[in-house]
Amino acid sequence: MTDSKQGSASKEQSALRVKISNLLSNQSAVLIITLIVLGAFFNWGSDGLFLTSPLLGTVMDEWGAYILLAVGQLFVVITGGIDLSVGSTVSLSSVVSGWTLINILKVGPEIGGADANPYVLLVVLISLAVGLLVGAINAWLINKLKIVPFIATLATMGASNGIAVMITAGQPLQGPNNWELGAPWAIGEFQLPMSTSVFATLVIATVVGLFLHKSRFGLYTYALGSNPFATRGAGINVEHQVTKVYMLAGGLAGLAGAYSYIRLGAGSNTSGMGMELYAIAAVVIGGASLMGGIGRAIGIFLGTLVLFVVQSGLLTMTVVQVSPDLKQVIVAILIAAAVAVQTLQNKNGRK
Amino acid sequence: MAGKVIYEIKNASKRYGSVVALDGASLKLHAGEVVGLVGDNGAGKSTLVKVLSGAHQPDGGQIFLEGQEVSWESPRQALEAGVETLYQDSGLAPHLTVSQNVFLGREITVKGILGWFGFLNKKKMEHDAHEDLEAVGIAVPASNRAVSQLSGGQRQAVAIGRAVSWAKKVIILDEPTNHLGARQAGEVLNIIRNAKKKGLGVIFISHTLPHVLEVTDRIVVLRLGRIVKDAPTSEFNGDTLIGTITGTIQTIKVEGD
Repeated sequence: MTDSKQGSASKEQSALRVKISNLLSNQSAVLIITLIVLGAFFNWGSDGLFLTSPLLGTVMDEWGAYILLAVGQLFVVITGGIDLSVGSTVSLSSVVSGWTLINILKVGPEIGGADANPYVLLVVLISLAVGLLVGAINAWLINKLKIVPFIATLATMGASNGIAVMITAGQPLQGPNNWELGAPWAIGEFQLPMSTSVFATLVIATVVGLFLHKSRFGLYTYALGSNPFATRGAGINVEHQVTKVYMLAGGLAGLAGAYSYIRLGAGSNTSGMGMELYAIAAVVIGGASLMGGIGRAIGIFLGTLVLFVVQSGLLTMTVVQVSPDLKQVIVAILIAAAVAVQTLQNKNGRK
Repeated sequence: MAGKVIYEIKNASKRYGSVVALDGASLKLHAGEVVGLVGDNGAGKSTLVKVLSGAHQPDGGQIFLEGQEVSWESPRQALEAGVETLYQDSGLAPHLTVSQNVFLGREITVKGILGWFGFLNKKKMEHDAHEDLEAVGIAVPASNRAVSQLSGGQRQAVAIGRAVSWAKKVIILDEPTNHLGARQAGEVLNIIRNAKKKGLGVIFISHTLPHVLEVTDRIVVLRLGRIVKDAPTSEFNGDTLIGTITGTIQTIKVEGD
């Protein structure tokens, strides 16, 4: 293709191609453009309903539920692993929180609003503990029993889910509802697309993201996924790093369980069902490589946003009615597109 | 020529199941000396390297660093004591930058809140990495480039430069000239000479015998887990070295003292 016969026309073409590929190789730029296009499209398709505060509020609400999982998953994916157990961890931690409030504190749905606030810290701590425990078990299976992460976390996924079902007997454990934390912020009459609990997830995810890019722990996470032999050779304790990464992912999943409990006002064994797949999708759409070594927190923030803008956007469409079942197909297409863009980037990077 | 004995292994043995990988191997390394370690595949070179670098514990035998008996429980311990190892083909993390690789495991941080939550000092590491590599005779491109963007020769230069600049006493290089062109291999051999000038003890493992003959002071030949010859490089030529490695030339086992 690089024949000398080809003239200036192909030169111009290749200059344009370089520009396009430069833009495409900036994952964040691609995602921001995608978001703008999607926002405009859904706003048109919903007669201006989409870009309104209540609707963006639901998008952010979903985003908050998933961003902690996605950021935790990002660490795991950068090491070259995968964590399938995070969805079940959300269920289990919300169920354990619900069980504790009902059976030990005798606090149920009769409490709500600002009266529920004193229980926040407890719910957060219980959920965090459950998440860290699942993460520690994952790490143990991987480090000590040498089970590959996919299978190890598949096992804990099943186990967590089973325990959650046993605790609830299939019925949601009703707790305090209408938590003040979940209520949208307002300036006078105007509702903002943000609540205290969404804001909390945003802060936590940002801190953890900074940690990935600025700390020694973050660097070792990349090193491990990039070349485990070199990492070990540099005197880094690879097993400890694996343990910390899976416990971080588990702990964040536990916090997502607390978020879910507060959001639903109940602990349910289905509250985290399938969430792991969305978390993995968000990570891939955000530009991380499942081969390890690659991925940035900002990409995951945007990738998660793309996922839920698409979902909520499709359901608000008034021009055509979109079946909610279609959203899974759309997510699948998004994943395929993201991976295709990645492959393109790798090709260009190697030239 | 060479200084005092800096690193010594006495009567080391190592078995993997029923396979005897090392059988009473003894080796002395002096400061400012380059020792070539050669042998056929399966002769026990890699095992000896792993034992010397702390990656594996020997089943029997003793290791002495500067006359003190040591027992490595991890590569980290050996590194901290001043024994640096460059493993074959596993030196660098391709997704990290040159400076991140040079400082991997020994990052410089800015003291944070309460003195423990320190962020990485990227600027200083990029600057220092460049200086350190230059000091051992390596001209590298910008230290903020990802290693995956470097050529094979540049990567190897960075890997060796990293090891030489960190090594305090001993440096073990496992096949450092593998897959390199003639000019790049020449640069690597120069780095080894620099390391020697610094007073480091260097163990150079290679299949490329001309490189071994060119850069080493002494050659140790391993065969079937045993050290079959340990003599100054001047006593070998290409033919006798090959003969000793393959066993067509009979040798008397050299005992450590």
